[in-house]
Amino acid sequence: MTPDQAQRIARRRKAALRERARHIRVIVASLSATFFVTAFLVVYVQLASGHDPALLATERHATSELASRSTELEGNENPSPSKSSSSSSEASSAEEPTTLTTSQS
Amino acid sequence: MTLATATGPHLFWITSRAAGIAALLLSSLAVCLGLAMGGRLAPRLSKSDLRVTHEALSLATLAALAVHGLSLLGDGYLHPSLADVAVPFLFGYETFWTTAGIVAFWMLAALGLSYYLRARIGVRRWRALHRLTALAWALGVAHSLGEGTDSGQQWFLVMTALAVVPVLALLAARLLGVLADTSEQLEQKA
Repeated sequence: MTPDQAQRIARRRKAALRERARHIRVIVASLSATFFVTAFLVVYVQLASGHDPALLATERHATSELASRSTELEGNENPSPSKSSSSSSEASSAEEPTTLTTSQS
Repeated sequence: MTLATATGPHLFWITSRAAGIAALLLSSLAVCLGLAMGGRLAPRLSKSDLRVTHEALSLATLAALAVHGLSLLGDGYLHPSLADVAVPFLFGYETFWTTAGIVAFWMLAALGLSYYLRARIGVRRWRALHRLTALAWALGVAHSLGEGTDSGQQWFLVMTALAVVPVLALLAARLLGVLADTSEQLEQKA
């Protein structure tokens, strides 16, 4: 084998290695994009369908605060035992999404 | 289709969460491959292929982490500043877990990018330092479980288990291997 032939073979091997590395990088980039898009869709659908854990927690907190406030207000206005039914109806109406940007379409 | 919540105002937040999840998966794969390479447990791939894959996964992790932190800057609810998401102990929201995430990011960035300076650092010293990557990864996992919005969700826990268990198994194999090697060396010396 002449030195020229050896150099050509080495160059070809180097090019093949570089091509393989590029191929691997493309695969990893595609995998990363797939992970990101899948996670984005899962979180998006979760949020859009009203099942987001953070927003549900905020909503529950707001609901309980509203319910306790309405009970306090009624207690001050009319301290009769019959208030329990009206306060429960108010509490149930407060269960509808109140805070944040919630809407039904 | 019924939409219960308008998603528009939360797009930056969703982006941050998705990037965090992607970073968790990519970093787990990178650490898994790194441990397999170091412990000579790697699958039947050439050494250069493994090195390129490990490097690409590490860079993809850093990119996902950058998106995870920077997209929070646009969130209308938390309103963090650049310093809040880059400097430990500064952000008022979940300070401990946020700090864990920030420290994990800087550790991963420093330990990962030091690969390009290993000739200056010295290969042996760089290898010893690079082992700390597993610690940074563990800190990142703790951050995702401690602060992650989805950490209570079943799908998230299953996904995290699938990503974490192989790494822990390889880490245990590596540590046991190191312990076995050390005790063999001690026996030979004795």
